[in-house]
Amino acid sequence: MPEETPKTTPKPDAWDSTQWHEVQKGETLSKIAQKYYGDASLYPKIFEANRDTIKDPNLIRVGQKIRIP
Amino acid sequence: MLKNGLRGALALLACCLVVACGRDKRLADTAIKTAEKAVATGGPDVEKYAAEQWKGVTDSLAAAKENFAKGEYKAAIASVENIGQKVLDAQAAATAQKTRLENAWTDLAAGVPKMVDAIKSRVDILSASKKLPKGLDRATLESAQAGLAAATQSWADASAAFKAGNLQDALAKANMVKEKAAQIMQSLGMSVPEAAGGAAPVTK
Repeated sequence: MPEETPKTTPKPDAWDSTQWHEVQKGETLSKIAQKYYGDASLYPKIFEANRDTIKDPNLIRVGQKIRIP
Repeated sequence: MLKNGLRGALALLACCLVVACGRDKRLADTAIKTAEKAVATGGPDVEKYAAEQWKGVTDSLAAAKENFAKGEYKAAIASVENIGQKVLDAQAAATAQKTRLENAWTDLAAGVPKMVDAIKSRVDILSASKKLPKGLDRATLESAQAGLAAATQSWADASAAFKAGNLQDALAKANMVKEKAAQIMQSLGMSVPEAAGGAAPVTK
């Protein structure tokens, strides 16, 4: 029987410069763009930065962590 | 008769002194030559990364030569005593210091460009924004743009210094960029990475 490889937690990157936002109740990408950029029309920038986790810009869920470029 | 005996004794003593002195001179000369050979094995890194320790070594050799010139042969020998070990110690200290600096550079090189990229991304978007978010005014944004340009240039300078082998210079510049980048991030309301003095990263 092969030995089980011990599971190790990857060391968090202390240099990680990604800016994160946790979605609050009632927030939309436009509202988030307004908060960070002062301009709601810039929401596609946030959508593009999160294409791996957001398939539809109108569908984000509370508690979801999204990148703010 | 007594006078002659005294003269003879003095002459013998003088001969002994001359012989002893000649022997000390030869020993001192050998010691200095040996020390010179040991110092020659130091290499450029020792002077660069263990400067103070190396100065102690070269000062000892200089003192030995000075004592030799003054005819103080015993003092000359004492000046270069254990110099071979001192050279080895300085070399070991230089290697350790160089490794420390290289590791520090590797760390900064892995992180500072990430900070600069994050700032560039935010500055580009804010520059395209019709209005600015609460707490941020045009002057602050313009200052961030200027700071970003300066940080980008300084990072290029730091990288060039590293490639040229000027580790200390590269690190000084890289640390300046890190500080500047952290300052810009704060001014834009961005979170600063933990390694640059910010809070621990948010769990994804």
